[in-house]
Amino acid sequence: MEGSSSSSSSSSPSSAIFYDFLDRMRNPASLDLVRSIKSFIVSFSFYAANPENDGKRVQEFFTTMEDSIRDHPLWAGATDQEVESAMEGLEKYVMTKLFSRTFSSFPEDAKTDLEVSQKIHLLQTFLKPEHLDIPLVLRNEASWLLAEKELQKINAFKSPREKLLCIMNCCKVINNLLLNASMSENHVLAGADDFLPVLIYVTIKANPPQLHSNLKFIQLYRRQAKLVSEAAYYLTNLVSAKTFISELNAKSLSIDEIEFEESMQAARLTNEETQKEATPSPEEMTSSQGHADPGPSARLHDKEARGASNYPYMDKEAGDLTIGDVERLLSVYKEVVTKYTGLCTAFRQLSFSRIENHVTTLEDRNVLLPVSKETGTNSDQRDGE
Amino acid sequence: MGCSSSLPDRSSGRLVGPNGENGGASDAKNLRVKLVLLGDSGVGKSCIVLRFVRGQFDPTSKVTVGASFLSQTIALQDSTTVKFEIWDTAGQERYAALAPLYYRGAAVAVIVYDITSPDTFNKAQYWVKELQKHGTPDIVLALVGNKADLHEKREVSVQDGMDYAEKNGMFFIETSAKTADNINQLFEEIAKRLPRPAPPSSSQNP
Repeated sequence: MEGSSSSSSSSSPSSAIFYDFLDRMRNPASLDLVRSIKSFIVSFSFYAANPENDGKRVQEFFTTMEDSIRDHPLWAGATDQEVESAMEGLEKYVMTKLFSRTFSSFPEDAKTDLEVSQKIHLLQTFLKPEHLDIPLVLRNEASWLLAEKELQKINAFKSPREKLLCIMNCCKVINNLLLNASMSENHVLAGADDFLPVLIYVTIKANPPQLHSNLKFIQLYRRQAKLVSEAAYYLTNLVSAKTFISELNAKSLSIDEIEFEESMQAARLTNEETQKEATPSPEEMTSSQGHADPGPSARLHDKEARGASNYPYMDKEAGDLTIGDVERLLSVYKEVVTKYTGLCTAFRQLSFSRIENHVTTLEDRNVLLPVSKETGTNSDQRDGE
Repeated sequence: MGCSSSLPDRSSGRLVGPNGENGGASDAKNLRVKLVLLGDSGVGKSCIVLRFVRGQFDPTSKVTVGASFLSQTIALQDSTTVKFEIWDTAGQERYAALAPLYYRGAAVAVIVYDITSPDTFNKAQYWVKELQKHGTPDIVLALVGNKADLHEKREVSVQDGMDYAEKNGMFFIETSAKTADNINQLFEEIAKRLPRPAPPSSSQNP
């Protein structure tokens, strides 16, 4: 079950692709391309950020650049694969430069990330494979753990391609589990009927950082020509898993409704109590596999906002609200802000004393502000200047 | 000089481009098609596809066998090829609301029921209605009654399936993933019904 070449351009290591791209860009002959790229990046600061527009502009730029590269003397006689590599390098370069502008740069995105992550956190306390009717033969902790780790790596990368690869890898681990079960355990291969529940369960166990923002980022900024076939399918599955989790209630699971409500409530209370213990749990340490710390902000989100979900307006849409709600809404808002500010202060003090080495990046970062992360893996990208 | 002009065949691969989700054609002779599979869990959606993918024998074709995503290319008599990219969906009721994420942009929807289970036939009709409302406008719909080998347990008559499909302008076939009956026919029929892009004579797509 190898990835088809059409969907995963993983044939050469991404760093090699990227360095090759940078090398070619250093060649004086590519000055015109470099100019186009730089002026495109600069042009972004002239416009107000708008995710859909930004996505469209970046995609159009990629298309234009692909034509330019194909016609460029530096790529004369180049194979499709070489042009493809250049495009992967370009995507990585441009999106790294535009990362803070394009990734989770809207308050709503940060808010959705927080909601999803919080909901997952509550579910983690009681959700069992049987609640999703996952067959026994597919309950393989070792496989699941591998899949979780792939998902948790997602913030270690800034390029849409590499983020997407984390998702693909996670899905491939699950795929292999399903295929193995069908061969060795005589479990009839049930395709998506088995795949999606396992992916949902793995996603809940992993609680990947900034899940919503990562998915949106890939959908908007991965080159559209590459967002097809198997890659598109697996991305859709994770979007699907996220949607399922966001809308999950007792009826979505094989669980008694009262048991569900009680478990959620108990989880909320536990969260409020453990809030003071700011030490990240092992599941939240996403910096395994030798990658640089992918996202302290994601963990921070979790910590700071726990307990906010028992506020009455969390499940409401704008259309549900009436004028009469304003007063209540304002008082709840003030309460939340007060608690939040207090918690931030407390957390920061605690963090300083307990996990000094983690704190440097947390600081005054507000969950509603765009989060820009500099990770060690990306330091090379500045070489492109 | 551009590679695109010297290598028309390859560069056309790019034309799948800007929105590859439309089940769009690579070129007039080699179609690439997004096919979504819908139907209750347990009706044998995946088995049909596995039969199809494993049953084909063409050493040159590239087969992707995953547990839920599969692709397979078939050659038609008019020397065109069709590459099916098959998107399986979870059939359990609790995932029904997620289906639009999968069938968006699909060129073909294969809706499967189990001839021994009227419930799954009802569910199939639900999917037909939903796709008529929200599917890609010129989507090719196929209604498939699977497990046709289980004669004694049949509860949905061939006539019922046929009538329903005819009323809704769909292609209908009964299959057995177990005996491989009609599996290839299903995909060949679909391939024939696909809207073709501009004829090869008009050299470039707009």
